[in-house]
This record gives sequence, structure tokens and C-alpha cells, in this order.
Amino acid sequence: MSIWTYIINRAIRAFFLILGIIVLTFLLSHVLAPNPAYVWAGPHAAPSVVQAIIGEYHLNQPLYVQLYYYLISSLTFNFGISPFFKQPVSELIATYLPRTLQLIFVAMILTGLIGIFSGAFAAEHKDEWGDYTVKALYLISWCMPPFLAALLLQLFIAYKWGFLPPNLMADPTLPSPKPITGFPIIDAIIESNWPYFISSLRHLILPAFALALISFGIITRITRSSMLLSLNADYIRSAIMRGVEKRRVIYTHALKNSMIPVITLLALVFSWMISGSVIIETIFSYQGLGWLLTTALYNYDYPTVIGCSIVIGIAVVLANFVADVLYAVIDPRIKLG
Amino acid sequence: MGLIVTYTKKYRKNIGILIKLLRKPDVAFGLIILILFYSWSIIEGILQVIGSFIGKPDLGWILLPYNPFQPHLSQSLRLPSLTHIMGTDDLGRDIFSRILYAAPSDALISLVVVGGGILIGGFIGLFAGFYGGKVEEFNMWLTDLFLAFPALILAMVIEATFGHGYIYAMIAMIIVWWPSYARLFRAEAIRIKNMKYIDAALLSGLSKVDIIRRHMIRPALNTILPYATLDLGNVILFYSMLSFLGLGQQPPYPEWGSMVALGLEYFPKWWWYSLMPGLVILIIAVAAALVGDGLRDILGGEEKWV
Repeated sequence: MSIWTYIINRAIRAFFLILGIIVLTFLLSHVLAPNPAYVWAGPHAAPSVVQAIIGEYHLNQPLYVQLYYYLISSLTFNFGISPFFKQPVSELIATYLPRTLQLIFVAMILTGLIGIFSGAFAAEHKDEWGDYTVKALYLISWCMPPFLAALLLQLFIAYKWGFLPPNLMADPTLPSPKPITGFPIIDAIIESNWPYFISSLRHLILPAFALALISFGIITRITRSSMLLSLNADYIRSAIMRGVEKRRVIYTHALKNSMIPVITLLALVFSWMISGSVIIETIFSYQGLGWLLTTALYNYDYPTVIGCSIVIGIAVVLANFVADVLYAVIDPRIKLG
Repeated sequence: MGLIVTYTKKYRKNIGILIKLLRKPDVAFGLIILILFYSWSIIEGILQVIGSFIGKPDLGWILLPYNPFQPHLSQSLRLPSLTHIMGTDDLGRDIFSRILYAAPSDALISLVVVGGGILIGGFIGLFAGFYGGKVEEFNMWLTDLFLAFPALILAMVIEATFGHGYIYAMIAMIIVWWPSYARLFRAEAIRIKNMKYIDAALLSGLSKVDIIRRHMIRPALNTILPYATLDLGNVILFYSMLSFLGLGQQPPYPEWGSMVALGLEYFPKWWWYSLMPGLVILIIAVAAALVGDGLRDILGGEEKWV
């Protein structure tokens, strides 16, 4: 099987997963919900509003008609109007999603760096103190509640030592850039709004670091075990026998090949980080998608909750797709199928 | 007689595992914490249930140093000290007592969710792995579908639809928890399927359902047990995230995650209000992970849990 059939196969699979996600939310919100009209309108809505909602979401029609309209509107990202924000949900998501994506992007780079190097370090010092220290660290990372990581960073780095600002997305006194791409940092670069750029970068570091802190453990662990496997491989032994410095063998020859399994983890880490960002954005008052989701949840803004979660589900499916393809491209040894 | 011999053999094996576990200091530490946590939860939980049945809720805090509900405004926001080990909250309630009072609900949800996950995931995974073909394709597609949603988001949607509260959190968590077990059980079923004794059972005319019921559940559970132990901590961690968002036990009942959320208002000046419950969650989760790791080393599983 060629790589293209593999990619197309994966794409079809991803598409059906996206359909499945939409149908799943439909089942929850239209079929299993005890009273769909009140769920969509909010528990304290006036009767006239509920009537309007029934009309808008076709709730008085047969289920397959409802499913048809729901699928069409979800696939065109038309999630209705948020009763709390009084704005179309798709516009809200378009504003808030890039902020979370830039946070997760920075956090993933940090996670990758910490995870891969600590894993390589642990493998180099297997069964020594270095290994045990790294093991203790990744265990704690693994078991750390996201809010605790965020609070500890806030307490020490922001409040006690004052290195970085404790919350918000950027200094509120600075004029924010006009949205061109939607990503505040990139927009600031495009408009050469340097004060805003530096401020938002400084505000990004702590939440990104908190996200990295709760998710680097898995990467450390996988890097360590795959490093140990490749350190026993023949090409490593011959490199050592040919007289290449040991440190160089470990950090270039072995590390490159042991990074392959890490790539499949990236999608998983992405999914964790989206979950984690819901909590961490709340604590840092970082107004991204997680903040939007919790605010909508507290205010019984159901269309926004559903819209956000469908978009998040699609993002995770796409991340999995990209990871699968990357894996196949980088490692030709895997069985395509 | 034969029955007694088999029972002592089984018993001896379990004792052997326990001794091996206790020999490693880190695992022993985790095991002690876990045992303390669960036995405290059982005692406290029984007292709370009896107290609510006979209409005397004060039975619930008979063993606690302070009443977890009674405000003492003169004592509010005290630093951790000898009288209040973890300090007091904004209403002057002892944080340590409130943490102890909340322990049974976390212990219960961890057991129920892991148990529910094993039941549903085991059912779907074993059938997928053993039957293969279309059954496997459909079951695994279903599993992937639930895994595609980040668990926290799916749980939030479920609770937004049906309501907030302890029972809803439990149901939502079971719904998001089974897919990882389905994957593990499927892998196990595929491993066991190729063993000789399954062929023998097939040849002797046992039906497929009977083979799964009689010959696959036990060996699969043996491999999954270490993971399930580790998972107890994950459930507590996850539930604390839900209750941090206000989706768990509703006030005035204390809950670890919601205590952290309440303390945010008083952060960073009165840091212990938020940090103490968070640290307790961290310790229990670490203990569960240590015991799970230790069990896996002894029972000889693979390092493939992702």
C-alpha cells in the first residue's frame, strides 16, 4: 500500500469520526436530554423564548429532520446565537480559539523540550540518581492537578519573585492589535505592535509552562524507554566502537530514532492540553476557548458549550490525523494499514 | 481437601505479592497512603451515611478535629498551625476537617468509575478482540469516537445537558472512562485468543460467549489490575477538575476541587486555602501511581500505557 492510500484512508476515517462526534452531541442534546427546549434555551428562559428556540432548532419535528438540520448547521459551523454573549457562536469561537491554539503551541514546544531531554537524560543515567530524580519528577507531573501547577507557578514566579505577570492575556493598558489572523501574537508582529507583542509573550509564558508541567511526564517516560531500546541497537554499538563520543551518540544518533514514538503522542498531549487549558485559563484569566467554555457553562449558554465542544472534538481528530500521517512519513518501517 | 489446598496456594500468592510490594520503599509509601485513605473513607463514609439516616448529621464529624460546617468568623483565614494543621478558610472552618469530611465521596467515585469502566470497557473490548472482523471494527470505532473528545470536555457537555451534581459527575465520568479500558481489554483478548487452552476450549465445543465468560475475564483482569490501581488516582484527579469547575458535589458539602476554586478569591495572600486541598489530591494520585507501577513490575505487564 502506498503512502497516499494510507493518507486517504486516514482522512476518510477522520471524517467519519467528525460525523460521529456531531451525532454524539446530537444524541446528548436532542435525544437523551430530558427537555431539549429548556436545555437549549437555559433553565430560566421565558416561555416565548422557549417557543422561539423550538422553532429555531426544529425541536417539534421528527428526530431525523432534527438530525438533518443539526448536521448541516454543525458542518457549516453555524451553531446559532449565544444567549449570554448575544453573538453568533461561530464568531465567538473564531475570536477565542486562536488564543488557546497559540497557548497550546508554545506549551507543546516546552513540553517536547522538557520531555525529550529529561527522557534522554534518564536513559543515559539508567538506574542512577539522575534516573530516579527524573522518575520522581515525571510521576509528579503525571499526578499534578492542573490547578495546583498553575497556582504554584503563580504564587512563586509571579507573586513572590515578580518575574512574570500573574494573569490576563496582555497588559490591559496597551492597545490590542486588530485581528488579521486572529492570533494576537502574530497580529502584533504583522502590525509591528512591539510593546503588545512583548507583553503578550510575557503573559503567555506562565500558563504555557503550567500546561507543560502537567503533561511532560508521558513524553519523558516514552522517550526514556524508547531510548533504552535504541541504545541496545547495533548501530549504536558500532558507533561507540568506531570511537564516537558517548554523549554525542546518545544525544544525536539514539535520540533521533527514539523521537519517533513521541510523535504519536503529540496528538494525545494536544488533547490533554485542551482539557488542561480549561482549568488553567480560568486561573490565569487567559481569555481563550477554555475560558469561553467555562463562562458559557456557568451562564447556561448551551449553544456555546456545544459549539465549543464540537470544534474541540474536530481539532483533536485533526491532530490525530496529522500525527498518523507524520508518523508514516517519518518512519517508513511501520505497517501501513 | 483439594479445595483447601488450592485456597492456601492462592492466599500464599497474594501474600507473596504484598511482601514484594512492601519491600520497595516507594511502593510501600504509596500503599500505606492508599490504605489509610480508603480505610478512613470507609469509616467516615459509614458514619456519614448512618448520621444522615438517623437524622443526626453530627455523627459525620464525630472523629474530626472540628465541625466542617460550623463557621467561626473570629478564626477566619488562619495560617496552618498546631491547632489548625492546614489552616482555616474564609469562614473560619478548619480546612483539614473539611478535607477529611470530603474523602469518602472521592474514594467512592474512584471505585465506582474504575469499576464501571472495567465493566463497560471489558464487555466491548473482549468482544472486539475475540470476535474480530466487523464486531471489532464497530467497537473500536465507537471507542475512538469517545476518545476523540477530550474527557473533560465531554464530561462538561454531559453535565451541561443533564445537570450538575455528584451523581451526574459519576455518570459522566463512567461515560468518558470506559474507552481506555476497552482498548486494554481488546489487546488482552487478542493476546489470550492465541493461547492453546482457548483452542482446546473451542474444540471441546464451548460457545464463544462462554469462553469469554469463563476463560478470558480472569486472565485479562490480572493484567489490567495494575493499570486500574494507577487509575484510581487518575479518577480522583479528574473528579477534582470537575468539582473545581463546580460540576461535582454541590455546596455546602466540601469537595477537594471546589475548595481550591473557593480559595482562588483569597489567593495569593491566603495561599493555604487553595493549595492544601490541591496537595492532598497530588499525594493520593502519586500514591496510586506508585502502587500501580509496583504492581506492574511484579505481575510483569508492559510499559505501554498511554
